[in-house]
Amino acid sequence: MQVLLKIKPKTYAMGDVVTVDLIAMHPMETGLRKDKDQKLIPTHYINDIKLYFDNELITTIIGWETISANPYYSVKFKASKEGELKAIIKDNKGESVETKSTIKPRG
Amino acid sequence: MERRNFIKGIGVTALSASVLPSILQAEEIKAPTSPNALSYKDALKAITGGKTPAESPDIELIAPEIAENGAVVPIKVSVKSPMTDKEYVKTIHLISTENGNSRCADVLLTPMNGEAYFSTRIKLGKSQDVVAIAQMSDGRFLSAKKSVKVTIGGCG
Repeated sequence: MQVLLKIKPKTYAMGDVVTVDLIAMHPMETGLRKDKDQKLIPTHYINDIKLYFDNELITTIIGWETISANPYYSVKFKASKEGELKAIIKDNKGESVETKSTIKPRG
Repeated sequence: MERRNFIKGIGVTALSASVLPSILQAEEIKAPTSPNALSYKDALKAITGGKTPAESPDIELIAPEIAENGAVVPIKVSVKSPMTDKEYVKTIHLISTENGNSRCADVLLTPMNGEAYFSTRIKLGKSQDVVAIAQMSDGRFLSAKKSVKVTIGGCG
């Protein structure tokens, strides 16, 4: 699973509310699709995303297989000081990926 | 054949013809169910604990009126709130009315978010309503609903 963490816009002032975008490469199988041999493909989806700022939990996203393949999630965050933004993404098969980005307001 | 028996016979065949298709349909529907199946009613109950959320203009749900591809339907939810420690939006729930698993996402927010906003892309099996429910810090539930027409379903 590859994950991209993006902060928009690129430059922002202290106290601005920025958009935090998360894009993951994931099949998000519903458990209803069949493979070539007519066997059902088991469910495989991202079910837990946690967003931390300096090790303080900001947002939790609990998701199900009803989210589209290669999912995109977006939330807001108030950039009140410099720090490290970290996202931990887990799927229902136990795979876990961690990605980081820095919050650096100008001025 | 006597007239009486003939009329009886017609009655029986008509009855069986009307009953049979409904039995067949019931078997057809049973086959494909989502492993995490949860109906809209049950999902609503699990979220609000039996309360009925109030429809409110404070919560804005942006979804396309017509989605050509049901596998990718962009959804945006934003809730008007000051997002201070005293008054903020606790959770945003996204559910659909007709999907096998009606739940899409639960987002647990904190005042550090600054704005109560969530955006994602969801799958819709057929034309249906998308419902966003927000739980405020004082325990109130607000909701917004939008119907989406789906041209090609996107659930397997």
